[in-house]
Amino acid sequence: MEAVNSEIRERVNIREIYRYLGYGAGIPDDDIQSLIKDVIAHLVNVVNPKNIYRIYECSTNETGITLISDKALSFESRNLASNLAQCSRVVLLAATLGIEADKLLQRYEVLNMAKAAIIQACGAACIEAYCNILQEKICDACSSGTDRLYLRPRFSPGYGDLPLQAQKKIFEELECTKRIGLTLTDSLLMYPTKSVTAFIGLTANPQSCHINKCETCDNMECAFRGGV
Amino acid sequence: MNFRDLLGKQILFFDGGMGTLLQERGLQTGEIPETWNILHPEVIKQIHKDYLLAGSNMVSANTFGVNAFKCKNLAYSVEELVTAGIRLTKEAIAEVKKENAAESPMFSVLDIGSIGKLLKPLGEITFDQAYETFREIIIAGDKAGADLILIETMSDSYEMKAAVLAAKENSSLPVVVTMIFDESGKLLTGGDVASVTAMLEGLGADAIGFNCGLGPEQMKKLLPQLTACCSLPIVINPNAGLPVVVNGQTVFDVEPDAFAESVKMLVEMGADVVGGCCGTTPAHIKRVVELCGKMDIVPPTDKGLTVVSSYNHAVTFSRKPLIIGERINPTGKSKFKQALRDHDMEYIYKEGLVQEENGAHILDVNVGLPEIDEPQLMEEAVTGIQAIIDLPLQIDTSDTDAMERGLRYYNGKPMLNSVNGKKESMESVFPIAKKYGAVVVCLCLDESGIPETVEGRLRIAEKIMKTAASYGIPKKNLVMDALVLTISTGQDNATVTLETLRRIRYELGLHTVLGVSNISFGLPERSRINTAFFTMAMNNGLSAGIVNPSSEPMMAAYYSFNALIGEDDQCMEYIAKASQTADKPAAPAASKSSTLTLDEAIIKGLSESAYEATVKLLEQNTDSLTIINEKLIPALDVVGKGFEEKKMFLPQLLMSADAAKASFAAIKTSLSKQGKNSESKGKIVIATVKGDIHDIGKNIVKTLLENYGFEMIDLGKDVEPEVVLKTVQEQNVRLVGLSALMTTTVVNMEATIRLLRESGTDCKVMVGGAVLTQEYADMIGADFYSRDAMGSVRYANDLYDKGEL
Repeated sequence: MEAVNSEIRERVNIREIYRYLGYGAGIPDDDIQSLIKDVIAHLVNVVNPKNIYRIYECSTNETGITLISDKALSFESRNLASNLAQCSRVVLLAATLGIEADKLLQRYEVLNMAKAAIIQACGAACIEAYCNILQEKICDACSSGTDRLYLRPRFSPGYGDLPLQAQKKIFEELECTKRIGLTLTDSLLMYPTKSVTAFIGLTANPQSCHINKCETCDNMECAFRGGV
Repeated sequence: MNFRDLLGKQILFFDGGMGTLLQERGLQTGEIPETWNILHPEVIKQIHKDYLLAGSNMVSANTFGVNAFKCKNLAYSVEELVTAGIRLTKEAIAEVKKENAAESPMFSVLDIGSIGKLLKPLGEITFDQAYETFREIIIAGDKAGADLILIETMSDSYEMKAAVLAAKENSSLPVVVTMIFDESGKLLTGGDVASVTAMLEGLGADAIGFNCGLGPEQMKKLLPQLTACCSLPIVINPNAGLPVVVNGQTVFDVEPDAFAESVKMLVEMGADVVGGCCGTTPAHIKRVVELCGKMDIVPPTDKGLTVVSSYNHAVTFSRKPLIIGERINPTGKSKFKQALRDHDMEYIYKEGLVQEENGAHILDVNVGLPEIDEPQLMEEAVTGIQAIIDLPLQIDTSDTDAMERGLRYYNGKPMLNSVNGKKESMESVFPIAKKYGAVVVCLCLDESGIPETVEGRLRIAEKIMKTAASYGIPKKNLVMDALVLTISTGQDNATVTLETLRRIRYELGLHTVLGVSNISFGLPERSRINTAFFTMAMNNGLSAGIVNPSSEPMMAAYYSFNALIGEDDQCMEYIAKASQTADKPAAPAASKSSTLTLDEAIIKGLSESAYEATVKLLEQNTDSLTIINEKLIPALDVVGKGFEEKKMFLPQLLMSADAAKASFAAIKTSLSKQGKNSESKGKIVIATVKGDIHDIGKNIVKTLLENYGFEMIDLGKDVEPEVVLKTVQEQNVRLVGLSALMTTTVVNMEATIRLLRESGTDCKVMVGGAVLTQEYADMIGADFYSRDAMGSVRYANDLYDKGEL
């Protein structure tokens, strides 16, 4: 197994899986717990995670942000701008578990629906774990000596007022399809489905980084809403 | 000299990258590079000329990204951009030849890249859409005068198949296919070098190889995998190294000298055609040509492998026999026949999954019944099975339409069952087999029947071989079936078959196959004879047995045989299988589980116990309706209530649903034995709306509703509003369930509801999905918003109770 696959297994947040499965803060019985463990092991055994990212100087104003490289790439979004306030640099990341997770899901939707639901939840947690691993590595690489940088929470198209349309620009900029096999449908959904694209701000201010990721979402009825 | 005359005889050079050169010349992000064929033709032509002057034999037109999807919002059509692109390569060639009196061969290449969309069933577009997209490009390029077609930077075998078929069916130009592999030798969609090589050789590609993704050093590590299995000339177009990010810019930093040194080694290792991809420039190609221009290539040789492949792996015939699972076949199975009539695809898929788990290497797929549309069902079965099962498939039918449909939509190099020595059979089957590169099962019989003698069968085998060759089908793509007749009607039947097998395998040098269990037809305790005969056949040169992999004695014979002939390293496989069998819970455990009552089994979510308990109840002559209404449904209600009160959770709810399903299966079997069907509480259409691909939520709802006795018409995911309407009207459906996950697809939910309302249907619509709320559901005109899976059950039951379904 690739090193990153075992790392994903170690880092996957089991509590999040319980939450995705509707347990809230509760804990499943032993049978379900061991099933979840099996599924995680199975998933990390078959997936082929890939990523691509670039790091930009970034300028923000109230209504949006601009990534600066050889050309300027702008995104209109007040929420994104406030997420990236004080950030001198921004990482644009695309990551995917690859097609194998979807294959496995499709297989178990025929074979065993309960297991399919668990694969769905575990897949979501695995891609989160993979992103966490990646962004720490990126952060370490960007920090030097005493100039420690900190990461703002990931911010993805569809969060707050950043429309899914932003995906088009991100896909083109990072060449997601060619480099990591991630494709975008006309309705702006990603295939393989266990994938993430995100902006991650880099800041020297450690205080600004402990934020509930549901904060920018307006859906107060969401069964999965974390925290308060 | 045309391209085919030189290919594989002398070294040839492709050109290098185009994208980075265009960016240096002012191409902006967001600008479509191919529009420069019309807006800045001189720039494009000059790049071609630079490559030709550097020594490239093939210049790729600036057509990589042209396709109907990308041209949708452009001022130019696919044809305009392709025509202009090819014209520029031809002008560049003409000018270089004239200005420099150059002698070297130069060819114009129609360059075709990936569409950039995944194909169904996982993805967004159909195989036919992909085919049409490529077809449009190919017809334009052929008309514009391209000398060859390069299908490059591919990472999906299914998309490649669509592209190669489009090329073969719409032009006679040579076809070169190059793919992106990662460092572990995998395509992004899971294929490996051996599997795609088998498929592409079968489809008639002229040359194949690698491009993009990796630099020459990484391709060096991968090339031996290709030379080991590939009988075609090999093309290698690496990037100038792996991408590195410098100042936020992606760059490729291998310089021309180092690049050329590595490419030289690739040629020594077996590359016949070389060039470059991302980050390579005319300077890179110039160095490559200087260093490699005088080199002799390693000419491609026929590897002679008999091989079939699925989307992700190849299965090669060898001394170690293979297991072909025979269970997807309605012959003599009333339940399977009923499943076909009911269009119960899930039943077929499960037959496949069980065989895969039990050790099959290839699955035979036969869905022929007189009263069904076999070609349609074959297509559905093949596409459905390959979506969830990794094994290569053997398309089994005597209907040539069904044969062609199965082979066309198959993702890999298929096996085909079968042709025989009759003139008519060979004339209809061989052209199709040749076109799709199938490995064909050949039955040793002809117009005169099945010969009784070994010599008679061998003569037919030789005739089939000779005729196949006249269609261009090599020996390696034939597998002979020596035919098995039961020993209950002729005591020499086994010995004739075994001797035929031996001589076909060792004298004719062909691989062999048998439908093993026919040997015992009409005898008691058939598995005794079957296993003995299977072992004898394997020892006489049987390459693949068509057997039931779920038969433990047969598989035991198989693993034992491999261990005995030294084809099982340290007997590891034998030991693993033997301990698996030993580990199986014996009688006591089984009796323990069967002490559970049906309602207990369902509440605990234990499928096997639920099945056993139901069988027991039926044996005690409990009426099936009583079982459903007094045991099954009340148990499901307990779980459903627990779920709504947050005492039980989704996994438990679904495990109970699966257990109930097992119970229903037992009831259904018993009913069909009495010639009855289970009663339906009414039809419900369920779909994930157009544009949306996340359908687990919909599938959960479907599973639950099925258990409550509703007849579910599942339209799948990404469903057009018109399809929903049509189904509702044709089947007179009173309730529709729609699912959508994202804000971008809820609009299609709204459109579907609007269409249903405007067309005057008075069906109810219930909706659900992550971004929906009661408010939103009201706004788009839904009758019911289901917050969770049980909500839909409650609503459907309410409607049923009110007589509205």
